[in-house]
Amino acid sequence: MCVDVVLLAQAAADLITWQERLLSPWIDHRLQLACSILIGAVLGLLGCFVVLRRMALIGDAISHAVLPGVVIAFLLLSTGVAGLFAGALVAGIVTAVAINVVTRWSRVQEDSAIGIVFTAMFAVGIILISRLPAGAHFDLKCFLFGDPLAVQRSDLISVLVIAPLAVALVVLLFHPLKLMCFDATLARTMGFNVTVLHYLLMTLLAGTIVAALRSVGVIMAVAMLITPAACAYQLTNRLWCMLLVAALVGALSAGAGMFLAFQLNDPPGPIMVLVATAFFACAILFAPQRGVLTTWRRRRQIRAHIADEDVLKALARLEERGARAADLPAALAPTPHGRITAALRRLAQDGLLTGGLPQPELTERGRQRALEMLRAHRLWETYLAEQSVAREHWHDEAERLEHAHQVAEELAETLGQPQTDPDGHPIPSQLPES
Amino acid sequence: MTGSRAFAAAAERTRAGGVPALEVSGLTVSYQEKPVLRYVSVAVPVGHLVAVVGPNGAGKSTLLKAILGLVRADSGAIRVLGQPVDAARREIAYVPQTDSADWDFPVTVREVVLMGRYRALGWLGRPRRHDHALVDDALRTVDMSDFADRHIRQLSGGQQQRVFLARALAQEARVLLLDEPLAGVDARTEQAIFELMDAFAAAGKTLVVVNHNLQILERFSAVLLLNQSVVAFGPAREVVTEANLRRLYGGRMSFVDEAERVLREGPSDVR
Repeated sequence: MCVDVVLLAQAAADLITWQERLLSPWIDHRLQLACSILIGAVLGLLGCFVVLRRMALIGDAISHAVLPGVVIAFLLLSTGVAGLFAGALVAGIVTAVAINVVTRWSRVQEDSAIGIVFTAMFAVGIILISRLPAGAHFDLKCFLFGDPLAVQRSDLISVLVIAPLAVALVVLLFHPLKLMCFDATLARTMGFNVTVLHYLLMTLLAGTIVAALRSVGVIMAVAMLITPAACAYQLTNRLWCMLLVAALVGALSAGAGMFLAFQLNDPPGPIMVLVATAFFACAILFAPQRGVLTTWRRRRQIRAHIADEDVLKALARLEERGARAADLPAALAPTPHGRITAALRRLAQDGLLTGGLPQPELTERGRQRALEMLRAHRLWETYLAEQSVAREHWHDEAERLEHAHQVAEELAETLGQPQTDPDGHPIPSQLPES
Repeated sequence: MTGSRAFAAAAERTRAGGVPALEVSGLTVSYQEKPVLRYVSVAVPVGHLVAVVGPNGAGKSTLLKAILGLVRADSGAIRVLGQPVDAARREIAYVPQTDSADWDFPVTVREVVLMGRYRALGWLGRPRRHDHALVDDALRTVDMSDFADRHIRQLSGGQQQRVFLARALAQEARVLLLDEPLAGVDARTEQAIFELMDAFAAAGKTLVVVNHNLQILERFSAVLLLNQSVVAFGPAREVVTEANLRRLYGGRMSFVDEAERVLREGPSDVR
């Protein structure tokens, strides 16, 4: 009895420490967490436009190129957040403009121009760091990789300023932004100043990246810009939905990443990025329409459909000739035996035949379906003949195309419901749906 | 009323004081100091379906871009319905080549057509019932209502073209500039697009159509043969002659080209 109480108390204590371990990061680091989650959401939101306009490289460029601006601001204004912001913004805009100028005044394409400009800016930044007066310490590592635990109240304030700005821009200018991303030329012909819109977006992007510096650092900021947006792009066919999903994935990645990092005792920035990458991988695999899994399943279904119909047709032919159904494997050679039995099983399930090997027998419905296929086959041959496809290709092409029944009926409509195929064989008429 | 009679009548109306839909005078445009269009002057009367024909690099697309204000002219003037381009933007609709668009973009057919209303909405406007009604009408006209809520990736080439025409229609512009709407479509789609374009012209719209196919010029009410400068402009049956076509596909103004190259780079024997 006494032992039980001690054990119980021990268990309770364990539970509490465990709870503390789980909850303490949320309590002790709520500032840092809030900051990272907000940054993740805003980067995800803006990332959509970067991904849709295929400007991932520009995001990369701006994030690296803010370095000299940050260093100069650091030199002149020591630590003020506003100064840092101004410096980074100016550097970001200089970069965006320089990329445009280089593209315009040389034969170099935009991707190369981006490479030239941002590396030059970054180099200037590094030289500036090496020339900092003694005593001033600029943490390049923090700039590159971030240090979420060093986030201060001032960082949260900068995020709280930039986040509503980004949301307001996207909500107010939703339609012009959509138009610009879809077709910038069309937007220009409608009198929209695409250049202004572009720089507005770039400025906001530079601002967000600066606000994200301490949380995730420039390199991880690029990942948080592109990956959640790419993930959302995979999942949806509507822009507003993509924006919402990207912001959500960004926020979730940041929050979950931070949390996992505390549990695993790893640096938070990289964990956030890996969480976002995991989201992206899941989207590629499991997306409802474009996912690898869905595509694979769809292909399998189509293969099965074709196999079923081929078996059905072979059976009908055997029946027509008065041959034994047991000869089916020979008629379908070289189709493997297993595939034939699987098809027979599915056909029996659909009520198109009864029994299996060696004596499958077509039902009335099965015979009807076989007739429909013959109809489709001969309609395709008629069409191919009309399209002056060489005769020797008719049969094989029709064998392949006949499995698309709906198209065959559209074909019949266009061909004017022909009665015979080019060889003079009758085309069975369409049977009433039973 | 088609062909030369219609053209003559419209030209007569224009002379009698009617404003031409499109008036280009002395237009010269260069890319990187190389002229693409030279001294182009053309007046298109209202209500015409005009084909712009010429070899590759003849400046057909550049002419459209100049009219749209997308490229800067070295010299010359463009007036749309009597007004400079910037003042007449709401009267101009551009129908780009379908293969220039991003068909993976996350929008539905309806949303693409609704973009035709953006000019009227401006920067901050939201589409209202009136705009949606115009979109529905446009979709019905091009027979794409059933596809309204589909994603644009699911469209065939001819359907893509019809969606773009619907967007131009929703724009309620009176001058339509179409960049190769008949490229790569089958005979049936071509017929459908022509029927639509004819209907637009009959409703008083003016259409300028960049076109590659010489076989179908009879279907247009006027033809502009363009190769850097205007070779001929008028009703198809008067303009499309063997002599004109030889001029069109034969030499350009090669002496002027050569002289300008010298002025740009210096004579080759100096280098």
